[in-house]
Amino acid sequence: MHYDPVLAWESMPTLLAGTATTFAVLLPVLVLGLLLALPVALMRLERGGKAVFAASYIAFFRGVPSLVLLYLVYSGLPQLSVVRDTFLWTVFSNAYFCAWVGLTLTHSGYMAEIIRGGLAAVPPGVVEAATALGLSPRQALFRLRLPMAARYVLKAYQNELLIMVKSTSAVSAITLVDLTAAANTVFDYTYDPFTPLVTAAAIYWCIVNIMRIGFTMADRKLNRHLARG
Amino acid sequence: MNAVTQIAVPSPVRRETPAAVAISIRKLNKFYGGFQALRDIDLEVGQGEIVILCGPSGSGKSSLIRCINHLEQHNSGTIRVNGTELTHKASDVAQVRRQLGMVFQGFNLFPHMTVLANCTFALRLALRLPAAEANDIAREYLARVNVQDQAAKYPSELSGGQQQRVAIARALCLKPSIMLFDEPTSALDPESVGSVLRIMEDLAATGITMVCVTHEMGFARRVADRCVFMEKGEIVEEGTSDRFFSAPSTARLKAFLQQVL
Repeated sequence: MHYDPVLAWESMPTLLAGTATTFAVLLPVLVLGLLLALPVALMRLERGGKAVFAASYIAFFRGVPSLVLLYLVYSGLPQLSVVRDTFLWTVFSNAYFCAWVGLTLTHSGYMAEIIRGGLAAVPPGVVEAATALGLSPRQALFRLRLPMAARYVLKAYQNELLIMVKSTSAVSAITLVDLTAAANTVFDYTYDPFTPLVTAAAIYWCIVNIMRIGFTMADRKLNRHLARG
Repeated sequence: MNAVTQIAVPSPVRRETPAAVAISIRKLNKFYGGFQALRDIDLEVGQGEIVILCGPSGSGKSSLIRCINHLEQHNSGTIRVNGTELTHKASDVAQVRRQLGMVFQGFNLFPHMTVLANCTFALRLALRLPAAEANDIAREYLARVNVQDQAAKYPSELSGGQQQRVAIARALCLKPSIMLFDEPTSALDPESVGSVLRIMEDLAATGITMVCVTHEMGFARRVADRCVFMEKGEIVEEGTSDRFFSAPSTARLKAFLQQVL
């Protein structure tokens, strides 16, 4: 078993096409997951029915394996006539759409908990100061609490994001050829598992480390008030 | 005793309130669950008056001052600020808060914003002033509390006294007619206490109305028009600062003063 640079070079177009699919799955999931997580996190901080709903949402989608969720969305939902016999079929027959739905739900469960933690860490006195200065609850949320929470959760979000990058490989189970699936295809054709998989791992490594550098830069900018003093 | 004299004796004609009342509190009650933090509080603060609230911890001083700007919701009774009754309606709350500036024990500056941005934050968001105008106002008040040189720094780079002076400037930027201070020097080292108290004395001389919870009895004696002593959620005694310190009439205030002076 050895690494074959020529095969690696020749399979690069296949692997890069897989990388494109990985991003096509990942980016909408990151945006939608964040948008969905925000109201869930806010509900989680309230009392009563909303908090119970949010807690159940988080518990459910963090608990269900994302691979199982993908199968359920892609293969399970079309078993229901309400999906199969209506306009829903047009969207749920699309593997990308199902990947977005499944991974977004998982991602939003984790993100809701991260955002909740960040908001809970904002000192109440600072919010009171803003309130006493005449900011509305809405302004206090969007202009103070969330910007402060974003600074606190940067590290946790980085973890979640990097794990998400690699979790997208689950989508090969519902026919999408992402980076991992592409590497596996090369293995199938060449009987060389080592070269394509190590190359794919290297590509993941590059993606993850570019993101890490991005986070370091964001941290330096957003948390510069902690660097001094 | 006969009924006729009782009816005939006229009560002395006395003006109920000074001409201009800044804060008027009547029969105020505040509960935290089953615990009553404030019990039938009656208090009036005239415009331009400097009122000091003192008393042992847990006596309700902070609760009272926090009820005035609705950081705590009172359960019954009325609070009027410059004529506006403070109900739990958002519009009333907003109108009352516009009259009030608040300074906290823990400064509560926005840690991720520069000193200047701390001061312009509410000007830009609550008053929707353009940035340039907000900056001018902020610099003016930062100069007034002697921290103009720190405008570009973050709160964590400042001493406690400087931070509290920034907090005072931040509140003054909105030009409140009444300033509320909730133990503004309790979290400071002795050196910083002096710098903050001097700013507050300067402020008192400008004619602004001040309600201040403090344990600084020397400051109270010098600056206060009136001192109010609270214990267990009630006002036990109030009076001009002279009489309050030299001739307290209740045993409880006497005991308290003996401990703190």
